[in-house]
Amino acid sequence: MIGSVLEKIHNAVFFQELSNDALEAVAAKATLRRFADGDVMMRKGDPADSFYLILEGHLKIVTTDARGEEIIINKVGPGETIGELALVDERPRSAGAVALEDVEALEMTKDAFFNLLDQRLDVALGILRGFSHRLRFSTTYIEKVIDWSQKTAEGDYSFLEQTQPITNRPGTDDDKAAQLLSTFYSMVRKVKAREEGLKQQVEKLAFEIDQERRKKEFEEITGTEFYARLKEQAQTIRRKRQGS
Amino acid sequence: MSDGKIVSIHSFRGGTGKSNTTANLAAQVALTGKRVGVVDTDIQSPGIHVLFGLDEQKMGRTLNDFLHGAASIREVGFSIGENPGEGQGRAQLKGSQLFLFPSSIKGGEISKILKEGIDFNVLNEGLQTAISEFDLDYLFIDTHPGLNEETLLSIATSDVLIVILRPDTQDLQGTAVTVDIARSLDVPNLLLLVNKALPKHDPQAIKAEIESKFDAPVTSVLPLSFDMAENASRDLFSLCYPDHEWSKALKNVVPFILNAK
Repeated sequence: MIGSVLEKIHNAVFFQELSNDALEAVAAKATLRRFADGDVMMRKGDPADSFYLILEGHLKIVTTDARGEEIIINKVGPGETIGELALVDERPRSAGAVALEDVEALEMTKDAFFNLLDQRLDVALGILRGFSHRLRFSTTYIEKVIDWSQKTAEGDYSFLEQTQPITNRPGTDDDKAAQLLSTFYSMVRKVKAREEGLKQQVEKLAFEIDQERRKKEFEEITGTEFYARLKEQAQTIRRKRQGS
Repeated sequence: MSDGKIVSIHSFRGGTGKSNTTANLAAQVALTGKRVGVVDTDIQSPGIHVLFGLDEQKMGRTLNDFLHGAASIREVGFSIGENPGEGQGRAQLKGSQLFLFPSSIKGGEISKILKEGIDFNVLNEGLQTAISEFDLDYLFIDTHPGLNEETLLSIATSDVLIVILRPDTQDLQGTAVTVDIARSLDVPNLLLLVNKALPKHDPQAIKAEIESKFDAPVTSVLPLSFDMAENASRDLFSLCYPDHEWSKALKNVVPFILNAK
């Protein structure tokens, strides 16, 4: 595999602890894959049998809400990996991935990955370091919660409109960080509603009724033969009921 | 003749939450111990049966059958008190005197009645018979939005007309015409009900503004609610969530109905 690819692998957080030699071993087991804009790279719920290192282009990580509407959880670009966690814990894909433009990625199958770990202690160690690196630092959700916290503190609720409502059903074993995010989201929504209620800024309701139109529509309805008959029948019935 | 009252619920445009409001109001009135009927005269797009847990399979005879002369009104009345169905809200209606008179959801039945039209006298007789045979205190009518002929029929026979509107210019314009029609047809009790009010507006200000425009009481101002939208058609919201803001505001309407002369 060519040098530029090796360099890109080395720049990936997941592999940054690997030596050049170990990187070459990784590259030798991987396959270069290309996706066009809109291609589905992974589907939520699929068995996890490989992972990708993104070399070129961007993609979105998506899930669906209770109504089946797509929610974009995250955008991923060069140097980032997707699907590697599911590979290790052997759980189905927790989200889907869709290319947002032409995407070039290295795919490593589960078998190749475990073979490599089996044969090369240095690769296994490097990858473990990569995992701990990731745990120690950002998860997108937590970063989001921090960002939203700051915005909320400043009274900037614009993210509520920019983000589609995120719903988790209680009792599911969705990612706890994702649950934190969704709980935070609904909390801010409620805080905002309460705040608006308290403000009671009585925005003057400026309702203007077009009186000419009102008269015209009234006459259109009441001018028919049907209406005349109806009015008469209604009067008869009301008289009858009052008399009873 | 029985002195049961006909309560029509109407809105000028769709999407005001009319069927939901009607079903919840009827249930709340039934829970005060009154005998209540609900007629779906929204023949073009029936929907209130869903809120009472009825589907095509459970639905027996319909209002359409009655209008064709194929069934008596007694056969059409479905006892919710005896068949409250699934759902924690509806379960509370067990034993209540609440009867649903559903409209057919079969396409052929719908187009047939729309083509033939509804005879005022037949519909009126059906409503009066429903009141007397089921000994109803209140018969709620869920109407089709707008002012088409079948809706005018329901308004004409009403003792109480509740017009539901959202606080926006288009709804107010349409409500103005409905109010004029109701007065022209001598409806004895004209009530307004505001739904989907935004939190940025003070409910009291909305009430005052609309009452001054129409010279008719605004019975309550119900807030726009995400919770309501999420749970709406599954069950009766005010029974599931009695302490919710929307439910509390809805219950304010009940005394207006019970006190109507």
